[in-house]
This record gives sequence, structure tokens and C-alpha cells, in this order.
Amino acid sequence: MRTPQAKLVIITAFNDINAGRSRALRSAMSRTVSLLRFGPLLFVALCCRVYAGEEIYRSANENVNQRYTIESIAVAGVQVDEARLPSRLRQRMTALIGKRCDIAVLEDLASDLRRELHLREVSHHLLRGSQPGQVRVDFDIVRKPVDASVPKFLYHSGQGFTGEAEISSRVGQNNFSVAVVSNGDELTERFSGIAARYENSHLGSDRVRFGLGFEEYHVQWNSETATVAPEADLYSSRRNIAPEFTFSVAKPLTVSVGASFEQTRSDDPAVGLRDANAITAQVNYGHKIEGDLVQQRIDGRYDLRLGTRDLGSDYSYARHMISLRYEVKSGRQSAVDEFTAGALTGNAPMFERFVLGNSSTLRGWNRFAIDPVGADRIVHNSLTYGYQFGERTFEMFYDCGMLWNPGNSANSTRAAQPRHSLGVGYKQGVFILALAFPITDGKVTPVLMAGMNY
Amino acid sequence: MAICAFAVTAVYPKLLIRLDGDYLRVAVSPHLNFLSGRSLERLKDGASIGFAGQLTITSGPNSLIPEARAVAHFALSYDIWEEKFAAVKMAERPDGRRAVSHLSAEAIETWCTDNLSIERSLIPADQPFYVQLDLRAEDPRDQAGLVGDSGINITQLIEIFRSPVRDGQKPFRLTTGPLRLSDLRKAG
Repeated sequence: MRTPQAKLVIITAFNDINAGRSRALRSAMSRTVSLLRFGPLLFVALCCRVYAGEEIYRSANENVNQRYTIESIAVAGVQVDEARLPSRLRQRMTALIGKRCDIAVLEDLASDLRRELHLREVSHHLLRGSQPGQVRVDFDIVRKPVDASVPKFLYHSGQGFTGEAEISSRVGQNNFSVAVVSNGDELTERFSGIAARYENSHLGSDRVRFGLGFEEYHVQWNSETATVAPEADLYSSRRNIAPEFTFSVAKPLTVSVGASFEQTRSDDPAVGLRDANAITAQVNYGHKIEGDLVQQRIDGRYDLRLGTRDLGSDYSYARHMISLRYEVKSGRQSAVDEFTAGALTGNAPMFERFVLGNSSTLRGWNRFAIDPVGADRIVHNSLTYGYQFGERTFEMFYDCGMLWNPGNSANSTRAAQPRHSLGVGYKQGVFILALAFPITDGKVTPVLMAGMNY
Repeated sequence: MAICAFAVTAVYPKLLIRLDGDYLRVAVSPHLNFLSGRSLERLKDGASIGFAGQLTITSGPNSLIPEARAVAHFALSYDIWEEKFAAVKMAERPDGRRAVSHLSAEAIETWCTDNLSIERSLIPADQPFYVQLDLRAEDPRDQAGLVGDSGINITQLIEIFRSPVRDGQKPFRLTTGPLRLSDLRKAG
């Protein structure tokens, strides 16, 4: 119900429009008037869905072509069997061949294609098939010249904000991206700056990719770290150039080899520039087992970084890290177990040291209370149980882990002991809200984490 | 001479109002060709297009508060084998749903406007009124791409605010009046 005063305001403003007193006001008011007059219609149009009986209405459900059978499906003119698509999408498309042409399903597929392949637009065309009563479906795609996104964001009540904003562009098989990063979650330091990457996804063959990364970060240290760590180890900025080749050995297995030419700069003139050049290698394994009632996924990863004086490095070290993840889903329930172990030998820079007590490990603990300078050894396990309500998932998790330095290392600042934490989370799409508690005899301060993709 | 020729050929559509039993209905003369451009292309590609139609009775030409209003939603599609159009008028109740098929573009457009009506009892009997017809294709934007597995897509967000009305969504609006209920001709 519009009040007389509100009506008066609108009429007065309308007179202003007619008198042409202000172009901006005229424009704004025309939109308001249009909205008021067109209100219910606009509502119907924007909603695209009208509640009809107990079913949500979609125009696509009323398409006259639904009586035809799908003969074939192509993406950008390439048959679905030969098109380069994520396997889940390919399976969904293949399953539609020979079935009734459900336009609502095709619209959902177009939407998922656009989201997963980061495309500007995807539309589906129906063409007459080779026989009457059959249709061919072709998904037309339009790539985005430049794509901007926020791939990661986190607020952590103990360590503040972490986030990343990225601009990327794809030209043929070449992908370019530049990101602005501020990360106070992963390492003993907070690093802020830019990360740029070039990637060629088809280097002579679909099985070989080449990537070149560039990072330039300003570094800030927590007061506890600054107090404990040797001053010579606390650099103020670092720069990294990292070329890498990735080989797809088999469908679930990839192997990457490369190098990392990293340079740290200290404010102390006596320390100045230091090189931490290393040979890098990574092995990734991912396998999915789809059952009728139970779906399982196994992922494994091994990381190696070898700092060597042969590459002109001031540090000589070897860093090994292994991660294993097992996920099982059945109906509304899911369980995930993630195990991580790592070892660092030799003399390594601070950014290589292991930490626990962040948004993914020993959630609820303050990582500077565990060890402000990180450690040379790590072992951690995280167990998560989830129950799904529609698009929402409620989670409970239990983390346990230990950081330590072998022998009587000078870097050992806290007694090595296993630590535990518990927490609950709420997940919807990429958004996550979690509250975690350390299990300790002392004062328990819960940690709140909110964000996406962390 | 050229101006004269233009004056003869430029014919603007007019709203024709009639009473059909207990309902006020509209027609457009000459025929209103609202199935065109991107909407027509999408239909011929086999997609479904939703059209929202609105018929409004107001007391003045610029009146913001309508005396009566009817809103209808139509789902249109094009049979790619038979090369004919089909339409469904959606309703809140199943008995209010109407469907038609095997029609030409012109016939389907006429069917849509014919299926917009206002009850006679809602129209002011003793004072002049204006009738306005609005037609608009539903927004085909897919907002699902805004938030995906890779986070928030800023490009998509910018696109949503940059182009509030896309090609093919051009709304059609026709107004006529002042009219009096007693002056309206009865159908049939």
C-alpha cells in the first residue's frame, strides 16, 4: 500500500522530470516509474519461474520439441565423445542420447558448461536429425576475452583476512592470469603481492602442459615469530620465477617437473639478497569409484623441492610432502579423511617450513602458539563427517597433528606433542562457515572461519 | 515529397479495446510483431521463450496506480520439424492453463494478446480510463555462473549490472484512452 506522502514524493519528482531540471534525476526517476508501473510484470519476468500448483514452472518444461528423441550431442560442432570436456559433463551428455529431448535438462547442462569451462555464454541449438522424430543438439559456446574472479576468500578470527582476486584470459591453448594476493593463512609469514601465470595446455600434445609462474610478495611477520626467529631469516620480500612441465602419464596420474628461482630480500644490509633456487617435482593421482549407492574418491599427491647450490642457491635443502585424501558419499552422508606428512632436511628458508593451526589443519589452534617459526617435520590427519540438506551441508570435523624438529634443532621452540581440535561447519556451494575448538587443558578460545574455497 | 511519403507509410500500431462477455480484451492493429530479433532466433534454435504480458487500467495517461491489472505468462516454442509455433499460458491453478500449437508466428502473437483480459467489474463504470498493454520476453540471463566452484565471478557480476535489458528483450508498450465503458463495442 503506497501512502499519500509517498505518492506526493513520486508526483513531485515526476514534475521535476517533466520540467527537465536534472538529467540524472530524470533518468533515475524514469527507471523508478518504469519499475512501479511495470512492477508485477518485471517480477514475473525476472523470476523466470512461476509457482503453479506444487511444481516450479519453467518455460523449458513446455517446449513442443520435447516429444523428439536426441540423436546426437555436440559442443561447438565437435561430437561429445571427441570434445574436451570434464568427464562428469561428458557422461551426463552421453546419457541423454536416445532419450526424450528435455529442454530443461539441456538448459541446466548449458549452464553447467558455462560455469565449469568459464565461458561467457553457452546456448543450445536443436537441429533436425537424420530421421523424422529425431533431433541433434549442438551447444554453441562463446569464450570470455577476459575473466575476473575472486577464487578464494577467508576471514579467520585469529589471523584476519586472506583473499585472492584474479584476472585471466585465454587465447587458444594459452592461458594468462594475474592475481592480487594477501595470504596470512598458509605460512609462518603473511605474504601480499601479485602472482602471474602463463600456461600452455597443449605443448605438442594434449599430454604435455607448460606453465610459467611469477610471484612478487611483500612479507610481514607476526610479533611472536619476529621475537623467536633469527633476524637473518626474516626477509621483507620475496620474488619467484617457476617454470614447470606437466606430463599426463595416465588418466588419473600426472607428473610435473620444474624449477623455482626464488630470491628473498632482507632489510638488513648485511643479509641483503638470498637465493633459494630449487628443482621441483610433483606427482598427482586422482581416482573416482562410482557405485549405485556409494561414491568414493581417492587423491594422492607427493611434492619434492630440492634446494641446490648447483642452481646458485644460498640454501641447500630437501623438502618432501605427501598428502592423501579419501572421500566416501552415500545418499545425504559423506565422510572425508585427509592425511598429510612432510619432512624438511638441510638449511631451508622460512617459507618452506611446515605449519599447523590454520584454516585447514588443527583448526581452532593458534599456529604461532604451536610453533611461531614452523618446523621441519609434520604429520596431520583430518576427519570430516557431513550431512546434506538440499544444497546445504552440515559438517563435524576432528583434526589431530604434530609438528616437531628432529634432534636438538635450534629452531625447536615448543615441545613437540600431538594436538587435537574439534569443530562444526556449515557449507553451501563454495561458501563455508566453521567454528573450531582446540582440545587443551588451558583456556579454550573458539576460532571462527568464514569464506569460500579455503 | 519524401516527408509526405513517410507520413503515408509510417503506421503505428493502435490498441483496439472490446468487451467480450464479462471481460475487456485487446487487439492490436496493424498486427503487433513482438516475436522478432533474438527471441525469434532462440525459438527457431529450439529453445523456449517465456513472455510476460500485462494489461493495465489507469485513470490517467501517466497514472502510477492502476485501477485494475492482469498479468499473464506465456511459454512459447517452435517445432523444428513442423516449423510451427506453440504456446502455453501458465496459470496458478491447473484449470486456468491453456495451450495451443501448430500456429504461425502471427497467429501465436494474436493468441497471446487475446489471452490477456480484465474483468469488466474491475473497470470504473462512471469515469474515463486508459488501457495499457505491456509485453516483454523473460530475462534469459543465467545467474548460475556468478558463483561457481572457482569462486565469485566478477565479470559475470559486471555483465548483470551493465546490461539490464538484453537484445530481444525490448518491451512493447501501447496505451490508449481516454475511454468510457459505455462507449466500448461488444465482441461478436
